[in-house]
Amino acid sequence: MPSEIITLQLGQCGNQIGFEFWKRLCLEHGISPSGVLEDFATDGLDRKDVFFYQADDDHYIPRAVLLDLEPRVINTIMTSAYSKLYNPENVYLSKHGGGAGNNWASGYSQGDKLQEEIFDIIDREADGSDSLEGFVLCHSIAGGTGSGMGSFLMERLADRYPKKLIQTYSVFPNQEEISDVVVQPYNSMLTLRRLITAADSVVVLDNTALNRIACDRLHLQNPTFTQINTLVSTIMSVSTTTLRYPSYMNNNLIGLTAPLIPTPQLHFLMTGYTPLTNDANLSNQAVNVRKTTVLDVMRRLLQPKNMMVSTGPDKTNHHCYISILNIIQGEVDPTQVHKSLQRIRERKLAQFIPWGPTSIQVALSRSSPYVQSSHRVSGLMLANHTSICSLFERALSQFDKLRKRGAFLDQFRREDIFKDDLSELDESREIVDGLVQEYEAATRVDYLEFSANRPSKSEGDTRSEEAKSVKSDI
Amino acid sequence: MAHAMANKTDPVRNVLSALIAESHSHLTPEKILREFRATADKRLTDSELLALLESISSKRINSRQVLDEITYVLERKDPMYALLKFTERITQEAKWHSNASVEYGKLPPASSTKLPHHYIDTMSIGSSSISTLSLADELHPPARKSLDLSYSTPVTSRKPDESPCLETLLTRRPSPSVPTESSSRGDLSMIKKRVMNAVAHMPVHESTNNRSANRSSLSLNGGNNTGITSNNATSIQAPSIQLSTSGGSVDLDLDFQDGMLEAQRTHMLWDYCKVEGQNQRPPAEIAAMPLESQQHALILDLIYCLSGVRGSYITPLPRDKSSSGLARYETRFTVHPGVDKALAEMVHEILPLASHFMAMQKVMAITNNRGQVNNSLNAALQDLTHDFYLLVAEAEAELDSQALTLPKLLYYLQPTMWVMEGLWSTLGEIQLSNLKGGDVLSHLCRCIKQLEGDKATQDVLISLTTKAAAPYMRMLQLWIHQGIIVDNTEEFLVVDNEVVHKGETMPEHYSDDYWEKRYTRRSHAVPTFLANHSDIILRTGKYLNVIRQCGKRVTCQKNNDAQFDPTKNLHVKLIEDAYFFAARQLLDVLLNENDLMGHLESVKRYLLLLQGDFIAQFMDACEDELSKNVDQVLPMTLENLLGLTLRLSSARSDPYKDDLHCELLTYDLVTQMSKIMDQEEEYWKTTDRLDLTGLECFAFTYEVKWPVSLVLNHIAITKYQMLFRQLFYCKHVERQLCKIWKENSMAKKFSAQAAELYRSAFTLRQRMMNAIQNLEYYMMIEIIEPNWHVFIEKMTKVENVDEVLNLHQDFLDLCLKNCMLTETSHLNRAIFKLCKICLNFCEFIQRSQRLFLDAELKSMVCDSSDESTDQSDSEPEVSDRPQDESSMAQTETFSESVKRFDLEFTGMLISFLKQINDLAKANTGDRFMNLVHRINFNSFYSEQMERMCVMDAMG
Repeated sequence: MPSEIITLQLGQCGNQIGFEFWKRLCLEHGISPSGVLEDFATDGLDRKDVFFYQADDDHYIPRAVLLDLEPRVINTIMTSAYSKLYNPENVYLSKHGGGAGNNWASGYSQGDKLQEEIFDIIDREADGSDSLEGFVLCHSIAGGTGSGMGSFLMERLADRYPKKLIQTYSVFPNQEEISDVVVQPYNSMLTLRRLITAADSVVVLDNTALNRIACDRLHLQNPTFTQINTLVSTIMSVSTTTLRYPSYMNNNLIGLTAPLIPTPQLHFLMTGYTPLTNDANLSNQAVNVRKTTVLDVMRRLLQPKNMMVSTGPDKTNHHCYISILNIIQGEVDPTQVHKSLQRIRERKLAQFIPWGPTSIQVALSRSSPYVQSSHRVSGLMLANHTSICSLFERALSQFDKLRKRGAFLDQFRREDIFKDDLSELDESREIVDGLVQEYEAATRVDYLEFSANRPSKSEGDTRSEEAKSVKSDI
Repeated sequence: MAHAMANKTDPVRNVLSALIAESHSHLTPEKILREFRATADKRLTDSELLALLESISSKRINSRQVLDEITYVLERKDPMYALLKFTERITQEAKWHSNASVEYGKLPPASSTKLPHHYIDTMSIGSSSISTLSLADELHPPARKSLDLSYSTPVTSRKPDESPCLETLLTRRPSPSVPTESSSRGDLSMIKKRVMNAVAHMPVHESTNNRSANRSSLSLNGGNNTGITSNNATSIQAPSIQLSTSGGSVDLDLDFQDGMLEAQRTHMLWDYCKVEGQNQRPPAEIAAMPLESQQHALILDLIYCLSGVRGSYITPLPRDKSSSGLARYETRFTVHPGVDKALAEMVHEILPLASHFMAMQKVMAITNNRGQVNNSLNAALQDLTHDFYLLVAEAEAELDSQALTLPKLLYYLQPTMWVMEGLWSTLGEIQLSNLKGGDVLSHLCRCIKQLEGDKATQDVLISLTTKAAAPYMRMLQLWIHQGIIVDNTEEFLVVDNEVVHKGETMPEHYSDDYWEKRYTRRSHAVPTFLANHSDIILRTGKYLNVIRQCGKRVTCQKNNDAQFDPTKNLHVKLIEDAYFFAARQLLDVLLNENDLMGHLESVKRYLLLLQGDFIAQFMDACEDELSKNVDQVLPMTLENLLGLTLRLSSARSDPYKDDLHCELLTYDLVTQMSKIMDQEEEYWKTTDRLDLTGLECFAFTYEVKWPVSLVLNHIAITKYQMLFRQLFYCKHVERQLCKIWKENSMAKKFSAQAAELYRSAFTLRQRMMNAIQNLEYYMMIEIIEPNWHVFIEKMTKVENVDEVLNLHQDFLDLCLKNCMLTETSHLNRAIFKLCKICLNFCEFIQRSQRLFLDAELKSMVCDSSDESTDQSDSEPEVSDRPQDESSMAQTETFSESVKRFDLEFTGMLISFLKQINDLAKANTGDRFMNLVHRINFNSFYSEQMERMCVMDAMG
């Protein structure tokens, strides 16, 4: 089978969104919680083999590897109705089960220690697919396991499988609530570095935005993890829909992501989805005043309130789209697509980079016949937008606050990677800062001549902490 | 009388000796005979012979008159004939003078008065010795036999209801003596009754109404008057009697030879042939007859003339050979100068009827076997002829009963004359224009229209047309109900151009031309009344044949006879019913039983790249094979790989996947395009086959069985292939660009400097990606998909297969046109060149990647290593330097190369966009502009395009 994708779920968050994702895929492909193909789903117009493999005629098993250092979430999964879905050999729980303690360094070190066992699983899974296209990583960047072990795995995967794509669905922490994880800024910074250097594309799932959407758009007072994760799973499933229901274009991961990412560094994608509703007000939604057109969907997707990334107000209004891919599902008249694009172009509803050609790509995708949607047309936007750097700026400022005070560094120093010094932290900061600069530069015409303002290699061994701290004041 | 005593010897000698005795000449009959019998060289001159005759006949009162006649005869004929004529005339004259007791003025015109009995007696006495005409009492059985043979259709096969023509022929003029309610209209016996009433004042019984098929019962008196039945029956046949009695020894004077072979001459056609031998004796001197006798003789002669036999006093003029047109078939007559002028006038009035009737007979003989329609028309005309003879026979019967006068005859024949004249002009045209088949019917219909107002003729013609159309309608019915053509005479409006014979295998691309060429319309054979329906007639049978070729039985519909009625449009309903039935059935066969739409979807999936994952997988599998030179590509390998891919990919659930095959063409798409547009240019000629990779020549092909191959024929597949090749090539380029994208993503690990260095290459790659992908999007999402959408929409409402074909063709043509595969502006060449540049760039990047990756990665490894060991810091530093420098040195050329590619690509793209722009200005209907909007969505190229426009404007 071509273009198989192996999903790696790491940590509490990763496993939770992964669980929702698989639930959703099973529903869409007509696969029962125990992995058996339902009778009604045998016509086979979809491609299940991208994410599943066939154990026998009608038994489908996800190409998923479940990894965690503490048993809570995985145990929940393994006692749920979907326990029989997964290959038990693909579920790896750390033996001591102590978790990473929300410490990136701990997760990273444990990843190092456990890598043989983990890569046994991954290699076996990779061997089982004819032409593996890449890996999808689900994790959060703030915790310990998902961020730490995730970072380690990303680096190893990039070395081990240099020709395979690494895509991540990375959950960014909610900035509006005080996290119980005090070292979250360190964790984020260290993970971001790996996301920049090791991953090929990162779909940013910003908890800040997700919570805001849950409150404002779905009218939930205190959104639960499950509700948020349903949103996430929707995004994950729709963003892979062109792979699972192939059509003319974007039928593999690389074809999906390559046009979105012009230069290797700028590979952080934000998503938008419309219509955003929850089950409670589905009944209201059913009474549509007028037909939803392709233009409606595309226009709504360009509105920030439908974005799954909260970028904050763009005061200078200089941020722009590097690229856009709209995946539209439902009853769409293909003749409308061009008109909608033309309208957006004429009204300049979206601002684009000045240094290269770009456009809104529209993929009309089939959707699962087994999932009844109350919406006639729905759309997902995958966009590469320069404003995403505000997320990194925020992470940088939080990091700097802690780093200046040198707070909570003890638990990091305990691990191998920080045994000698804390340069790893500062290097990470430097790289993230470089990315922010590059994103900023990408809004300008002279992006091609841009050079990151950071000490170059030729300056040799001047990589001292002082140099870094000077930079951080900017 | 002189002749009375000379009974036992030769009448000529008798007459001559009598004359010699009268004139006291020294001549003897033997001497005179010798002179006249002498051969041409020894013979005296005409004037000397004439003087001889004058010397013996000077005593006779009429000698001057007779001699004048003989002078005339002598100039033309044999002297012996003249002598015979002389003796005949001289005695006749004597006879008439001796009986000249009847005053001419006494004969009342147009009265039913009986001729004086003695008049008839005298005449029969006078003519008994010379007339060869036999009356009823001379009849003998062989005559009847030969008469029966004289009809082309057996007499017994005639049904009473088959002669409506006669009704109109004979009942036109209502008889004053017959109450109109006495019988049903148009019954033949009705006419007989009327004639009887008018002529004989005989009581007529209703029992004569039942008309029998037996001709002998067509007697004037009907069955109740058995006493004279046989007499009447024979008199009916009188016109043919002479023919039959003279049969065998007849020496035909075939002066009507032109345009007509002996073989074509029917036995019906006497055409006033001169019968030698028996007609030698001159007729009685008519001027000497009393008027009644004259009239009788003339009527008799007329009756002969009407049946095509030479008369005594009414003789046809020799035909003018140079005449053309209708006149060629017409006959003109001359009436004996001795005939009373009043009678001659009436005779002249009737004579055109004889001419028309005989001309009709001639035309019938000529057109015989010229197609079924003509034959059928002739058969109908034969019926008419039969009825006409009946009419003539009845007239003779009346004559026998001495109840017929010329005015009466004229009165009776008048309607027939008009009808016959109309018929003749119609028929004559058929022969003149050499019409056949449908044209005959068209002509008849046109004549029917022209005869509006002349009800009688029109009715006859309508009935004729209905009959003439019968074989045509049979053919039509066979065709529209069963799709069979039985048309040996090439008359039917549809021609079967079958090329494959039974047992032969179907040739390749059999179905390509099938639809267009297998059955065609024979344009000249379409009768006017079918002209508006010829299209659906053609289709109906065609559909049925397709159904049959699918191995299905053509279920016959309700088989009511197709009858053409020129006055009604009954046939239209029949045709339309058959058409809708056939159309629906074939559509059903095609759409439901053979799942045309399923096949089309399948074709779309593969040839239009809808099944993107399959294409990608196939490209993965065949990449190595297709990148070879086309001559080294093994088609079997491709086929195997295709089979494997089909079975392993998501295409495996497609029931028609086995119809898909690989094909390696011998030219690339651009050459194919130029070939199609017949524009050969030097540049493209030079790229010969040797340079082509397998990829450029590759195409899928899709093979379907009958009847789906009607729609998915070779032409359609070729169009699909053209689309496929462009899409496939673009897809290939996109894949290559994606590949280097992945390899380039390594660069994110590079140092900031290196990243900067590569950025120009990355952005160029992205611009290429943007252009190619947008091109693909444009073709797939904006052209193929919406057009397909429209196509499917229309297909749900489709009514016949022709519509399906048209819709499908429209769909393909629209796609081709909007995918820039039809127009002559070389847009597709620009696309091809763009793709080529992209591919070259990919190759270049991959080549340099290998070099630079090593360099960059090595420096990175050093980067990371210097953290771990401070000591080794300097060492790699040293080794790094030269590497950096060398890489910098190479970078120079690298960035230069990128720049070169950039210039090349941008120039090409801008000119491509501009070309589209210009086209869009010229032709706003096209969608090409959408492509510009797509590629230049954020107006990135606008400035450059404007600059180019300005440059153009500057020259």
